[in-house]
Amino acid sequence: MKKLFKVICVLALIFYFVPLSYGQDEIRIGVIFPLTGPAASTGQVLLEGVKLAADIVNTKNNLNMPLAKTAGLPNLKGAKIKIIPGDHQGKPEIGMAEAERLITQEKVVAMIGAYHSAVTATASQAAERYGIPFVNDSSTSPTLTERGFKWFFRTTPNDDILSENFFQFLNDLSKKKKIKVDSIALLSENTLFGTDSVKFQKKYAEKYGYNIVGTVLYPAKSTQLTSEVQKVKSYNPRIILQTSYIADAILSMKTYRELNFAPEAILANDAGFIDPEFVKALGKNADYIASREVWAKDLTLKKPMIKTVADMFEKRTGKKMDGSSARAFTATIVLADAINRAGSTEPVKIQKALLETDVKGEQLVMPWGGVKFDPKTHQNMLGKGIIVQIQNGEYYTVWPFDLATKEVVWPFPKWEKR
Amino acid sequence: MEGDLIQTLVSGLLIGFIYALIAVGLTMIFGVMDIVNFAHGEYLMIAMYFAYWFFILFALDPLQSLPVVTILLFGLGIITYYVFIKPIIRAPMLTQIFVTFGLLIFWRGVAQFLWTVDYRMIPQAILSGNINIFGVYVGVPQIVAAVGAILCNGLILWFLKGTRLGMALEAVAEDKEAARLMGINSDRMFALAWGIGIATVGIAGALLASFYYVFPEVGSNFCLTAFVVVALGGFGSVAGAFIAGIIVGIVEVLSGFLIAPSLKLLFVWSLYLAVVFVRPQGLMGRK
Amino acid sequence: MKKNIIFFLIFLGGLITFPFVFENPFPRHLVIMILLYATMGIGWNIIGGYTGQISFGNAAFFGVGAYTTAILLTNHGISPWLGMLAGCGFSIILAAVAGYPCFRLRGHYFTIATIAVGEIVGVAFMNWDYVGASVGIYLPLLDESLMNFEFHTTKLPYYYIILGMFLFALTVCYAVEKSRMGYYFRAIKDDPDAARSLGINVQRYKLYAFSISAVLTSICGTFYAQYVLYIHPSSTMDLMMSIHMCIIVLIGGLGQLFGPVVGAIVFVPLTELTRVYLGSAGQGIDLIIYSLLVILMAILRPQGIWGLFSRGSK
Repeated sequence: MKKLFKVICVLALIFYFVPLSYGQDEIRIGVIFPLTGPAASTGQVLLEGVKLAADIVNTKNNLNMPLAKTAGLPNLKGAKIKIIPGDHQGKPEIGMAEAERLITQEKVVAMIGAYHSAVTATASQAAERYGIPFVNDSSTSPTLTERGFKWFFRTTPNDDILSENFFQFLNDLSKKKKIKVDSIALLSENTLFGTDSVKFQKKYAEKYGYNIVGTVLYPAKSTQLTSEVQKVKSYNPRIILQTSYIADAILSMKTYRELNFAPEAILANDAGFIDPEFVKALGKNADYIASREVWAKDLTLKKPMIKTVADMFEKRTGKKMDGSSARAFTATIVLADAINRAGSTEPVKIQKALLETDVKGEQLVMPWGGVKFDPKTHQNMLGKGIIVQIQNGEYYTVWPFDLATKEVVWPFPKWEKR
Repeated sequence: MEGDLIQTLVSGLLIGFIYALIAVGLTMIFGVMDIVNFAHGEYLMIAMYFAYWFFILFALDPLQSLPVVTILLFGLGIITYYVFIKPIIRAPMLTQIFVTFGLLIFWRGVAQFLWTVDYRMIPQAILSGNINIFGVYVGVPQIVAAVGAILCNGLILWFLKGTRLGMALEAVAEDKEAARLMGINSDRMFALAWGIGIATVGIAGALLASFYYVFPEVGSNFCLTAFVVVALGGFGSVAGAFIAGIIVGIVEVLSGFLIAPSLKLLFVWSLYLAVVFVRPQGLMGRK
Repeated sequence: MKKNIIFFLIFLGGLITFPFVFENPFPRHLVIMILLYATMGIGWNIIGGYTGQISFGNAAFFGVGAYTTAILLTNHGISPWLGMLAGCGFSIILAAVAGYPCFRLRGHYFTIATIAVGEIVGVAFMNWDYVGASVGIYLPLLDESLMNFEFHTTKLPYYYIILGMFLFALTVCYAVEKSRMGYYFRAIKDDPDAARSLGINVQRYKLYAFSISAVLTSICGTFYAQYVLYIHPSSTMDLMMSIHMCIIVLIGGLGQLFGPVVGAIVFVPLTELTRVYLGSAGQGIDLIIYSLLVILMAILRPQGIWGLFSRGSK
């Protein structure tokens, strides 16, 4: 009986490991995002961004971006990109396991991911151990590019630059509107993303001469934030600088409303606050949040290509494009461009091609100067951020003032007045 | 600062009533048949999902679907008793622990399978916004949930002390043999205890669905705290659970506010250990 | 008896030669996980299965083992092998400190108290900056070597290390089972009051059992830290991890030497494969399956699956 049992186990294992067959002329790219779990809505639009980019690369489109005008990768005889998704559910250990599975079982030649900085850290660690290029599209924790990794590349600007953006904005605001914000409270989730953000927010607050009156960190999967919000309230700040993923972003806004807490402004650090689900869930109560962003639809006034791509996205998915999906899109284009220039699917050659990347600003759907990786840290040096504000359920660029399409509404109107 | 302290105490009070409601079912089941229902929190989770789906499918606000959810969970409690619990009534404690604990995993698996791990929230429930009581702002859903919990607790106390059926239940809890000799069918009493115990959690779930996220693991957040409440109040004492619920709610929120929100649970668990070592029978328990 | 030895040798032979038949990393990873969980299960079995003290807090030992190694390596460059010993030391201390008061409790009170201790340790680590709070610790990527306990291009050395640990745990458990201490453990499980009246120092032997359990669990934590090279409270000290250790033994056979092995063989592939093929919806199915197994085993056959196969067991 025991032996039979063992034989069954062994057979089951053998059965599972029948080698997978796949087309020779497709380029397999592994993509890891939080497709289920608390940040599922963000994960889904990230994947859609990647798929749209892959589509554009694989077909002929009249767009001024790399590989759009051809079908497939010309230097690889028109081979098409195949996206293999993996779901990390927001958990670092699953991210690592999925990365390993994509590399060793699915035999992907490169990877994109993973949104949550904590998951990107472990997934890229797996990639580093196996020697597979990993392009990070949307995680902004600065630590990720300070690990001395050779296979890790990041297209999005990180929280070092982006945190400084907040204070440049506040400075400009004080000059233009004579508003001097003298007390700021920090509220943040406590994984890698949040703790790194807080670190840099404090650094730049000091540099620019702003006073942080209190910091509250909370577990990312909190089911209620009453204590946290009350603690922030007790510091009596004029504005709050908040870093949250989608679930806690929505929860905190509801809590603010319930406790009737309306500071002069809430400045948000991207992530949950720019997810399309945010406005959907909160309706009018989402208005007047200002967030650090890397993309906005109204940038199309300067770059018409953005509107074309955003419309394509909305037509495919029924959802509005946002900073997350735009960055996932961009990373895919950059990676495909590198693979094309490498003329091969060998990881070492792709790595070399990535180091030589030089995509011009006009060819991106982002308000960046371009994509060029620092030779040591592999951080894109030409990225930059903007500040958007939600007005009437839409995101409008309000800073830098020369790119702004609307005036920032300040202060935040009280809850009763909406 | 004082205003904030009062605000915090009020929040603690409100959440405490809800803990009390969840704990009442747990302590009743234990009191009547000496079984700790480790899966208690999962029934809360199921109730929350029911409330959520009633909203999505039939546009019923949780307040409106509350009676239906309660009845459904009452039925679920009875079914659970006859299918899973009755076979192990006389089994060793180890077995009982494993079965209720297996149930915990089972329901969580069912929820994950049917509804995925995504977080869900009822958008724009009837209960939203806040009201101002003497300068303290309280969220409307929280106040309604608290009031609901108080009413429910009161109802159960009245049932147990003031009705024949309730007293029969208490008799079985006191002394099964004597109760049997007096003609009380303990099997039916056990089933009833399960039905009521799970129904209370059903009410709590429907109330919570107005303002909490719903996801498969939401049960453990509340249930673990419910264990502390039951221990503090005394395993088996309904009145004790009520008072203890309030105490635990206040301790949790106060420690979060005065010390650090991320250390809240540390204080709640330390409270459990303190109670269990110093006064094992809790505030009002009899064992 | 001879038959048992032959079967065991065949099983062992299979384990030793497995990586040479399956060279792909994923099957090796699967068996590594099976051996890891089996070892943790053996650890839990000592306190839960043999001594009858149901602990839902053993993950704390796993965490202590993992964190001790990680901190000593990352901050002080100390070899993980020494870190493993240090981890065992700290785990024994934790077992004594937590066990001494908790073992005075009985039944449900004890079990819930173990949950309390586990959660307190978890929350403490999540707020302690020295150990990285909730961000955790990223272990440095060092050159592959046995001394560094890190390997990157192949899982083979990891495989044999965990196999060694597994065999060590099995030996310890076997020795305990056959010794007087094991006899005392079982006496405590069956009837603690009778045991006390026979002159057994119940409190002391519970602590012994707990310490052995702690050590076996702690070395698994160290292995995990070196295998994954990233640890944080949710992956090393979570309540669900304690529960998994328990489930494995329940399914496989409480108080049986090979119970945890069989349990792990059922549990690990179920979890990993449903996740791979079905994503997180799949994770529901494996939970359903093994929870039903647990309930069935509890009601019908406390000896578990192992008990189904071996005759002449208790």
